[in-house]
Amino acid sequence: MTAIRLEKRGRIDPNSPLTFTWDGKKLAGYEGDTLASALLANNEQVLGRSFKYHRPRGIMSAGVEESGAIVSIGEGNRHEANVKATTLELYEGLVANGQNAWPNVRTDVGAINGLFSRFFSAGFYYKTFMGLPPFEWGSGTWLWMQYEKLIRKAAGMGTASREPDPDCYDHAHAFCDVLVVGSGPAGLHAAHSAAKAGKDVILVEQDFELGGDYLNQMSGEAESKRVSLIKALEKAGAHIMTRTTAFGLYDYGTAGLLERVTDHHSIKSKFQPRQRFWTVRAGATILATGALERTFAFGNNDRPGIMTVSSAKTYLNRYGVLAGRRIVVSTNNDSAYSTAAELAAAGAHTVFLDARESTNKANTSMLESAGAELRNGFAPLEAAGSKGIHGVQLASVDGKGWRASEYESCDLLLVSGGWSPVVNLLSHRGVKPVWNAEQACFVPAKSDEAIAMAGSAAGIWDTARCEQSGEIAVKQLLGSENTGSLPKPGDLKSKIKPVYEISVPGKKIKSFVDPQHDVTADDIRLAHQEGFVSVEHLKRYTTLGMATDQGKVGNVIGLALMADALGKEIPEVGTTTFRPPYTPVSIGALTGRNTGTHFKPLRRTPMHEWNLRNNAVMTDAGLWHRPWYFPAKGETISEAYVREATISRQTVGICDVSSLGKIAVQGPDASEFLNRIYTNAFAKLAIGKARYGIMLRDDGIVLDDGTTWRLSENDFLMTTTTAHAGKVMVWLEELLQVRWPDLKVHVTSVSDQWGAVSIAGPKARDTIATCLENANSISAENLPFMGVKPIRLKGEIDGLIARISFSGELAYEVYVPAGYGDAMMDLLWPAVKAAGGCLYGLEALGALRIEKGHVTGAELDGRVSIDDAGLGSMASKKKSYIGSSLQQRPEFLREDRPRLVGIFPKDRKQTFNGGSILCRSEKVSGHGDGWITAVTHSPALGHWIGIGYMSGGHELWTGKNVIAADPVRDSEVEVEIVSPHMFDAKGERMHD
Amino acid sequence: MTNPVSALHGQTESGRYGEPGDVGILLGEVKEFCIFQLAAWPETITAIGKVATTAANAAKVPKPGKMVKGKKADLLRVEPLKWWIVAEGRSTALVPAIDAKKGCGLDLSHSRAWVKINGAKAESMLNHFLPIDLRPESFPNDTVVTTAFHHTGVTLWRGDRGFNLLLPRSFSVSLWEQLHESALQYGLEVL
Repeated sequence: MTAIRLEKRGRIDPNSPLTFTWDGKKLAGYEGDTLASALLANNEQVLGRSFKYHRPRGIMSAGVEESGAIVSIGEGNRHEANVKATTLELYEGLVANGQNAWPNVRTDVGAINGLFSRFFSAGFYYKTFMGLPPFEWGSGTWLWMQYEKLIRKAAGMGTASREPDPDCYDHAHAFCDVLVVGSGPAGLHAAHSAAKAGKDVILVEQDFELGGDYLNQMSGEAESKRVSLIKALEKAGAHIMTRTTAFGLYDYGTAGLLERVTDHHSIKSKFQPRQRFWTVRAGATILATGALERTFAFGNNDRPGIMTVSSAKTYLNRYGVLAGRRIVVSTNNDSAYSTAAELAAAGAHTVFLDARESTNKANTSMLESAGAELRNGFAPLEAAGSKGIHGVQLASVDGKGWRASEYESCDLLLVSGGWSPVVNLLSHRGVKPVWNAEQACFVPAKSDEAIAMAGSAAGIWDTARCEQSGEIAVKQLLGSENTGSLPKPGDLKSKIKPVYEISVPGKKIKSFVDPQHDVTADDIRLAHQEGFVSVEHLKRYTTLGMATDQGKVGNVIGLALMADALGKEIPEVGTTTFRPPYTPVSIGALTGRNTGTHFKPLRRTPMHEWNLRNNAVMTDAGLWHRPWYFPAKGETISEAYVREATISRQTVGICDVSSLGKIAVQGPDASEFLNRIYTNAFAKLAIGKARYGIMLRDDGIVLDDGTTWRLSENDFLMTTTTAHAGKVMVWLEELLQVRWPDLKVHVTSVSDQWGAVSIAGPKARDTIATCLENANSISAENLPFMGVKPIRLKGEIDGLIARISFSGELAYEVYVPAGYGDAMMDLLWPAVKAAGGCLYGLEALGALRIEKGHVTGAELDGRVSIDDAGLGSMASKKKSYIGSSLQQRPEFLREDRPRLVGIFPKDRKQTFNGGSILCRSEKVSGHGDGWITAVTHSPALGHWIGIGYMSGGHELWTGKNVIAADPVRDSEVEVEIVSPHMFDAKGERMHD
Repeated sequence: MTNPVSALHGQTESGRYGEPGDVGILLGEVKEFCIFQLAAWPETITAIGKVATTAANAAKVPKPGKMVKGKKADLLRVEPLKWWIVAEGRSTALVPAIDAKKGCGLDLSHSRAWVKINGAKAESMLNHFLPIDLRPESFPNDTVVTTAFHHTGVTLWRGDRGFNLLLPRSFSVSLWEQLHESALQYGLEVL
């Protein structure tokens, strides 16, 4: 192939030269080029290597269907594999390299695979390596596992960067009346029609220029039409999106788009996203997605120097590159004639082969006047050459088959085997395309949704009729009257001759159906011989259509060969289902900005900054960031939490508990509502009192626990665990809206309204009192255990206080409006310090509650009943409540149910692991008799303790030898099962 | 008297950020404001509606999904049975006494961060996060919606001077960071 750049031809800007690098070599191109057109103009032929056989590959097309020129671009953290050179817009400084080859695509050691190609037939690894002597004897697993590693290593094309992606990506939503996909003649006319009708239009084009096939045409008329339509669209305010691919269609007019924002920029802005992932919701959708030209299978049809006819036209008229000097054009339809004439007129020696035995007069004279030679009844049988072609062995029609004929020298072989409308997006909606034998292609069926196909995507080939179809399709979708009928598919002057493969009896040739995955015509026949009759199975066995082009070129040929092997017609074989995405979507675009610290939305308490200023080490608790511990200088986490828990029991500790769920329950029926959802009685809870409550799911499993405060006759403040706040809120809403709409109750999340601290320890009351305007308001008489009341902190900060305890100490929770959280801490912390107290975090909070045997989400894990959790005494026998029936089912009444227990190491100097299973010493295996949910060092007891569940409860295991087994970390520790209330079992300290 | 700290305290430093050229996005926090929720029962919508309009000094009761600008406050119908009275400053005069048989009142002033978003690219930027049709014909002035922003429930309305976003306080820094980052591409000014 000896391509040349023609002067004054094409749409590239000769005044804007660009330099780029291909495999380390500096080359020149122009603005308006793709990487493929620039490489072609530089006469670079071998641009890739195939998947299995490492055969050299060059440019095969000029678009998304490319199977040969698949390259890697960028360097370092911007390295990207499997980029189609045919769609990559050239930019200054672009670095591109060949892939799947060593040392390079021109001289690839992997090409040795080609010598063993007969062993690499369809399904070769299943057949060769699994339990088949001499490779493996027996059942065939062990050796296969070894082979598999090698096969996996060899699989794939190119290598992804292992460095973090430096770019950002955006998600975006858009809405419109009409979405038009594709800006060719049909798309531009459709968009224009809709905009003229006053509709809000989004026009999407995957190319960097609008125009589709207009861009490939020589005529000035096409260009002026294109320009005037674009101007009219802009004037009408249409939203025009170039470099944007509609990759999927979904329910209710939703389309997925990928916009490449800065991929074509030499210097990447640090503010612009690389790509945007759009979700567009459209009232109506026009798919003017065009059609892709097929080739046919013949010997060595994958060699560099063989491409589709239309791509040569694109390179000539759009990029000003004459792709060869001595060209053979082979076709079975009329569409290739004009291109051949243009190539000849541009100076190429052109031989035109038409598989049909006659040509109409107009086409004949078009070729004659351009100086091209026409041969009817001919087609290529086998291309000659390896890293480029130097000729082609022809075949001539022989009855219904072919026979070998003369050899023709050439440096470029162009093939047109017909056109396949791009029906992929409509296929995403479950609309199966219909085989049109007349046009030898699948055409779209009618959709029941507001989606229409127009132009060549609907099988219409003539430009004028494509334009007309765009206008009519829009009008029909918008319900206009007197729209006229859509043009029918097919309008070429002479009928296409279906040709899918050229072969002659007795001649062994290697002809490819899916070049990227090296699927040959013989592979299809082999699959049939081995019993594969379903097209879906054929696809998976041979990998036909599974490469990055997703069968855009090879599918129809594969189906035709399968139909031939089965003795059926193509429609009887069917077609595989196209699924999103139409073209690949980067992982970054799917993720958008939801990465790093924004992977999940982080929740901060009102005292977050205060905690950080006071040396908190934070940890994640669900979505929350909570203080984990507050290390003194040089302290480890273990030292810090033991100190914090010790001081809290000795004097006073203060802990940010703002993350607890808080729900305002209001209305005249609020107490009745609470009485129905909690297992214990709430109907008569007095104003100014709090009560601990358990709520169950319908199936009797514990949902959550917490305290609820009665603030007034009709106002309650419910607290939930941090983990289950959202779940409980949704549950309450559901109950009120679905089951009990008659109850006059409103629930509102007020979790973010309040900043909250727990102040625990013997000096808690005295400490808080110094911060109140009325110190006496929280005396033991004025605020007894489980009392609640409004308070005023110094500085006129109004809040609430409840005397409740999670730590087992004399303890209070103080709530202030969140904006006063910092001020509250500034007030309380000096008082705590003065009392010899400390700040404590989640780790110490855990130690304190484990000592007391108080449950959290670790214990209430969606598997336990109220009795299992040791809270059975809170289940009222006098009333009905959610879960009251199903908690009585036999399974929950079994004596050997796992029950909440405490765990001590037998040797008090030892520790054991959370998550260990508890086994009787004579049977340390299986799932054991229980498990450990949490472990801590207990400052109060002076040794390690745990909490968990054990079959039948702790009384059953008194004096028995139990092992805490942790097979994952290879640890076994002898433990004692004790009451879960391991410290101050009578609760005297908190009642002080 | 202690002054409260706003939800985005320390996060909203004024200045010009991001892409040079025209400012496409103006972001600002309303640091002091109050939100008072009024909730009615199905049979007391009219009565509570009147209470709400009186409190906001508004001319009429907004329908669900709508806002009416009152002389004292904006009145948002956030749910069929619920109104939010939203006003800048810390006015307690807005809080009406309500008979429980008619409905409930609730102070939510500290539960949200109030972000104002304006500029030529405000719609585009918001649509990077919100799956809402914000075209003026679909989302005209005085429209209110509760929607999802990075899986978080937020309240959005369009006023005379652009968009208003109420973010749950605990999520607000995280969501502000996302707004800020995304706005950089359009040229951002934090007010």
